[in-house]
Amino acid sequence: MRINPLPARGSPLGRTFARVIERRSPRLALAILTAIVLIGLLAPLIAPYDPAAQPDIVRMKDLPPSAAHPFGTDPYSRDVLSRVIYGARLSLLIGVLATVVTVTLGVAFGAIAGYAGGIVDAVMMRILDAFLAIPRLLLLVAILAAWPRLSIGALILFLGLTGWFGLSRIVRGQVLALKHAEFVTAARALGASRRRILLRHLLPNLVSPIVVAATLGVAHVIVLEAGLSFLGIGVPQPGASWGNIIRDGSDQVAALWWMSLFPGLMMVLTVMTLNVLGESLRDAYDRSW
Amino acid sequence: MLRYAAERLAQAAVIVAFVAAISFALIHLAPGDPFSAAIDNPNVSEAIRERLRVQYGFDRPLPEQFGRYVSQLARGELGWSFSHDRPVRDVLAHTLPNTLLLMSIALVGSFALGILIAVVQVSRRGSATDHVLSGASLLFLSMPDFWLAILALLTFTYWLPIFPVGGAVDPVMHEYLGLGGRILDRIRHLILPALTLTLLASASVARYQRAALIDVLPADFIRTARLKGLTEREILRRHALRNALLPIISLIGLSFPALLTGAVFIERVFAWPGMGYALVNAIASRDYPLVVGAVIIGSIMVMVGSFIADMLYAWADPRLRAH
Repeated sequence: MRINPLPARGSPLGRTFARVIERRSPRLALAILTAIVLIGLLAPLIAPYDPAAQPDIVRMKDLPPSAAHPFGTDPYSRDVLSRVIYGARLSLLIGVLATVVTVTLGVAFGAIAGYAGGIVDAVMMRILDAFLAIPRLLLLVAILAAWPRLSIGALILFLGLTGWFGLSRIVRGQVLALKHAEFVTAARALGASRRRILLRHLLPNLVSPIVVAATLGVAHVIVLEAGLSFLGIGVPQPGASWGNIIRDGSDQVAALWWMSLFPGLMMVLTVMTLNVLGESLRDAYDRSW
Repeated sequence: MLRYAAERLAQAAVIVAFVAAISFALIHLAPGDPFSAAIDNPNVSEAIRERLRVQYGFDRPLPEQFGRYVSQLARGELGWSFSHDRPVRDVLAHTLPNTLLLMSIALVGSFALGILIAVVQVSRRGSATDHVLSGASLLFLSMPDFWLAILALLTFTYWLPIFPVGGAVDPVMHEYLGLGGRILDRIRHLILPALTLTLLASASVARYQRAALIDVLPADFIRTARLKGLTEREILRRHALRNALLPIISLIGLSFPALLTGAVFIERVFAWPGMGYALVNAIASRDYPLVVGAVIIGSIMVMVGSFIADMLYAWADPRLRAH
């Protein structure tokens, strides 16, 4: 048994987090991510132009980067820099909201399956297997191609609905492992209801794996959304998402290189910082056991 | 072993049935039907559409339609592709070999490259090389497939015009080349898409394998080998790697969805005439039967991949083989 030199203070998640930002690369990642979030939040103040404005579709389209348009303009004469800035807002929003859906469903399904056990658990796990067998992108393509011109809200919902299977399995495993722990038996002996045991005793112990899965999940959703938008079934026009901007330039990749380079760089930066944070959180959490 | 295979196969059959049910539900939950969505032609009157609906059985009750759909699937019938004007099965049979070629090259290449990177990293653990390679694999892992493909296209076909822009063969000259020239032409077209997919897939293999190797290193048999006087290099190659290869087999099964997804985007960017390219074009032309057909075949491919990986794993692991 390991003896801590000091009594642990604060919540388990807070301690994990403190351990994460002690190191250099996650600290840098957090700083970059904060900057990108700020860019997204303050998009209307930062963006030099309206992201949907088409000032002169004849003379101002397809302009290469210049002082007036640092990231150039697109085939509809819109300013690419402004669209990339608004893209940060939309991509992060979609990533976070879809992950909220994912976490809610994944935790509920996994916790119920793990706690119920027996045949309920077996059936629920087979359902999960079937969904996990379909590649997420293909499932989304089948759904989104059937409903053309979906709103962003519906897109978020579908991104969330197709992403919770893996997390569910993790949560179920944790609940199964903790179900017969002493503190749960004690709570049961004190007459706590199932619901209370699940919400007050089991769930707090699941926070760390959920936070890890959510951080990596946001990164994954951003990539997926960009991919779907690139295929033309994601964010509807004239909404600016990173994938959308790249799609607008994809017919003439060579002539309009600035339309794939800049939004792609922003996206890679965002996804990479989220991955660094998620993995550092996981490392820190693994070491705390 | 046989019993395990049978169990696993039965499980896969149930999942295929489930996938069929999901895709049927998707088709019928979607607004309209193939005749209102795909034929947006003002010259087609409502009466003709109605007749088409009767002809194709869209007027029947849903359970009957589902029964017909399942029996069609069982016979390998995937419906009619409106944009190609031929059966979905034919379109997919025509394009699938190209996708399989791309995926198998990337599968072999990414595992070879990924394992090599991991071994280099672990043998120089904590060094600058290790950190740089870790950073590089994280970078490739964070990169959307289509963006890396676009970068590769920009760099190696426009800025440094080494490779052809896209497609599987030269659209004009291929017919006039001799056998050797044709093979060379195909290879020239294959390199860039295959390399892109390989790079993307090798990132996760390298990360996974590095962690697996580090997990194995504190084991007792490694200490024994060290006490026997083997060099660190020999230990890594002969003992650690062999034991860390077992999880690689299950990683092969897990990597199929990512390979398939990557192939869809890479085929789109390089106009590689595979199933993913057909799927992307089907989305654009609202050819829904082809979309669903590609999704079903893609899911079956992933399932077959994970089945083979599970069987290999059971065969390779003496502990499982005994059962």
